[in-house]
Amino acid sequence: MKLSPGAFQFNNSWNSFFWNFFIFGCFTLALAACSRNQSKEPANTLHLVVEAKLKGLDPILAEDRYSGTQSAQAYETLLQFHYLKRPYVVSPLLVEKLPDVSADGKVYTFTLKKGVLFQDDPCFKSTGGKGRELVAEDVVYSWKRLADPKLTSSGWWILDGRVVGLNAWRDRASKNGEKHYTEEVDGLRALDRYTLQVKLTQRSAQFLYLITMPFAAVVPHEAVDFYGKEFLNHAVGTGPFRLAEYHPTSKVVWVKNPTFRKEVYPEEGAPGDHEAGLLADAGRTIPFADQVDVQVFVEQQPMWLSFLAGQLDISGIPKDNFSSSIGPGQELAPDLLAKGIRLIKQPVADVTHLSFNLEDPLLGKNKLLRQAMSLAFDQNTFNEIFYNGRAMAAQGPIPPGTDGYDVNFKNPYRQFNINKARELLAKAGYPGGKGLPPLEYATLAGSSGRQQSEFTTKMFAAIGVKLNTNTYSWPQFLETIKNKKAQIWEFAWGGDYPDGENFLQLFYSKNASPGQNDSNYRNPEFDRLYELALTLPEGKQRTETYQKMVRILVEDCPWIFGSHRLSYILAQKWLKNYKPNDFSHSNYKYYRVDPRLKK
Amino acid sequence: MFAYIVRKLLSTIPTLLGVALIVFALFNLVGGDPTYQMLGRHANAQQIEEVRHEYGFDQSRPVQFLNYLKQIVTFDYGRSYSTRQSISQMIGDGIVPSLSLMIPAFLLTTLLSIAIGLGAAYFRGKAIDRVTVILCIFGMSLPMLGYILFGQYFFAFKLGWFPISGYETAWPDRVQYIIMPMVIFVLVSLGYDVRFYRTAILEETSQDYVRTARAKGLSEPVIFFRHVLKNSMVPILTNIVIEIPLLILGAFLLESFFGIPGLGSITIDAVNNSDFPVIKAMTTLVAFLYILGNLATDVLYTLVDPRVRLK
Repeated sequence: MKLSPGAFQFNNSWNSFFWNFFIFGCFTLALAACSRNQSKEPANTLHLVVEAKLKGLDPILAEDRYSGTQSAQAYETLLQFHYLKRPYVVSPLLVEKLPDVSADGKVYTFTLKKGVLFQDDPCFKSTGGKGRELVAEDVVYSWKRLADPKLTSSGWWILDGRVVGLNAWRDRASKNGEKHYTEEVDGLRALDRYTLQVKLTQRSAQFLYLITMPFAAVVPHEAVDFYGKEFLNHAVGTGPFRLAEYHPTSKVVWVKNPTFRKEVYPEEGAPGDHEAGLLADAGRTIPFADQVDVQVFVEQQPMWLSFLAGQLDISGIPKDNFSSSIGPGQELAPDLLAKGIRLIKQPVADVTHLSFNLEDPLLGKNKLLRQAMSLAFDQNTFNEIFYNGRAMAAQGPIPPGTDGYDVNFKNPYRQFNINKARELLAKAGYPGGKGLPPLEYATLAGSSGRQQSEFTTKMFAAIGVKLNTNTYSWPQFLETIKNKKAQIWEFAWGGDYPDGENFLQLFYSKNASPGQNDSNYRNPEFDRLYELALTLPEGKQRTETYQKMVRILVEDCPWIFGSHRLSYILAQKWLKNYKPNDFSHSNYKYYRVDPRLKK
Repeated sequence: MFAYIVRKLLSTIPTLLGVALIVFALFNLVGGDPTYQMLGRHANAQQIEEVRHEYGFDQSRPVQFLNYLKQIVTFDYGRSYSTRQSISQMIGDGIVPSLSLMIPAFLLTTLLSIAIGLGAAYFRGKAIDRVTVILCIFGMSLPMLGYILFGQYFFAFKLGWFPISGYETAWPDRVQYIIMPMVIFVLVSLGYDVRFYRTAILEETSQDYVRTARAKGLSEPVIFFRHVLKNSMVPILTNIVIEIPLLILGAFLLESFFGIPGLGSITIDAVNNSDFPVIKAMTTLVAFLYILGNLATDVLYTLVDPRVRLK
């Protein structure tokens, strides 16, 4: 066959190539289609999401919320925050009841539940892989791991300086290594198989909150010894789920733990829970789901589409999809309502802020300048632009729902007022910004950091304050701040537990950089009240002390208080018992899928 | 040839040393101290010192550099600062998903682009050639993100032909997750590759031997497939082999949006987190593969062009 350039035809070899290619393509598609139709999971499987890659399942390394939540499905703590009750209350998890506390408030005695078993695992060599019973020595061992300097846990702060003898043990541990674990700590003792005694260095109202965090979860020493450095990729706890698949960058699969003790769904909740159907399963045995598939989504579009396609049970609303999902009255869009999707709104226990470095000679000595800048920052507009209105302007550091929050308090320096800001700036010695050098503003590299810095620059320019923006990677950003090299920067703090102290510690002078008080705020009266509040039990006096401290902060203005964000979460109609809880980490056991509604 | 290969392999030593020096200098100048990130906002001065000591950040720079060189030799980079995972394990886990996506995508791109490039060159100046060039420019102009967003919304969400995102380690379940990112990779890469191969083939068609072949009365398909294509293989091979080492890095955007746990995202995460051990491992690995790729190209030249001799 003769071919000419003007009339090109495929010869036999081309035909053959394309046919082969076509057949291969069809085969591949058919294979893919077949494999998609093969559903191997139980009908009541939960399909959940984490929005970041996981950093391991070892509880002492569970430094971010995502890793902590996954770790908490297998590893349990002595106490937990009640799933339904609000305000948040601590309730027993691995213990029979809340601990007995000595009269001086320094000695806590915990009684462990009997018959709690670690999950079956090859690490239990002496029992042929059968999980053994959890005992008080396991708690002692686990908390010593948290203190072990060789393991460099970022969670050490929850016990640092609080337990008698533990800091001294830690200092010796760096020299003696593993052998040191046999040395007793006076303040941390197993009195018998089921009784744990903890002696505190001073009365601490926060201690019980702190030990609900995943860092304090109990692990068996056999698993740590058996898996060595790979322990972070295994989960051998007492929890309701056991690990079936673990791919920290893409997927985690949990299955029901067959040796989990008898636990039931809460029988009491907060007002409104009954009406919301959250008590319909009261008293029923948990966990409900036979399997939990957790998919890692680092991008929002695929997560959102997967939710809309019914492949995820819960989702947040990406910023770009907010206007199509939520109406002007903050109600759910009709098409989503028609699918039975529920919108659940809840304040997040956090605070965003612009920090001033008070060790900076210019900013540190000029309170009026800081107050003027605080008045010039229009938080409501910021919230509309950057959070789609899903945030409330903060009047101080303590968020709603947290002890110390005063719903009636209005921060006089956070009511946007350009004229008053100009007035204060003039009093500060810089009328119209004259004579004030540009301030160095640190932000994170990336579109969000850039957009927010542009907004901030514009706000301050309105009163004549100029900013030089410096963008950094996250490690550079932290290094700059911790080494006191920045003047102003944006930051946020998510609460670890629902107590004002967790937010006020950010201003305690002994926590100055490189500690968490990175504004390097120092005020003796604030410090005195902080130290007093640490020893006060929950109650009116402590709440009033927190509120006094907030008023001192507001006047001194070490931060421009930003927002407390609101979470907007969507849940599918088949997901039952879902209630957001900022401080409880092992909530999967309460969720229930109704397969009939999923069809 | 053997002597040439040995000599080439020996030349990797100074190259890798240079790469190591540049990476080390860059990290120490602009990378940021990972200690604060590892410990979070609750860290105190004592803990910071402990971590710096534990990870050797308190050692002198020359000692740190020597440790780095030792790691290159042993290929034992320890554990990631950020995820605390074994780096060899991370690479081992990531390389299969990356290659599962990239090898078929690359092969398909190469086959299609050579075929289309050849066709376009064959029809040079005709409508089909012009349309091909326009389509190539169009394909190159659209960012990969555009293809991804459209593909996920239309083909996965609306039509349900493919999963929106996800990955399975088992075959054949994995296939369904690979198809759409693979097709997107092919579409994005075709524009550049077709234009490159078309130009390489056209350059060859202007050679004297082509005129001679036509004068002898050989048919155009014979000229193209037997002579032009073979003689165009040197630039084609160069382009192909240079791309091969980069395949292990995967395609970061595709991996992120499709939830494929490959090496592309591991590398980007490492850069964002100042995770120096991972950066060191990946840089050295890619540099080494790149050198090997160049060596393979040289050897392949001798196979496709008998005039080439390795000395």
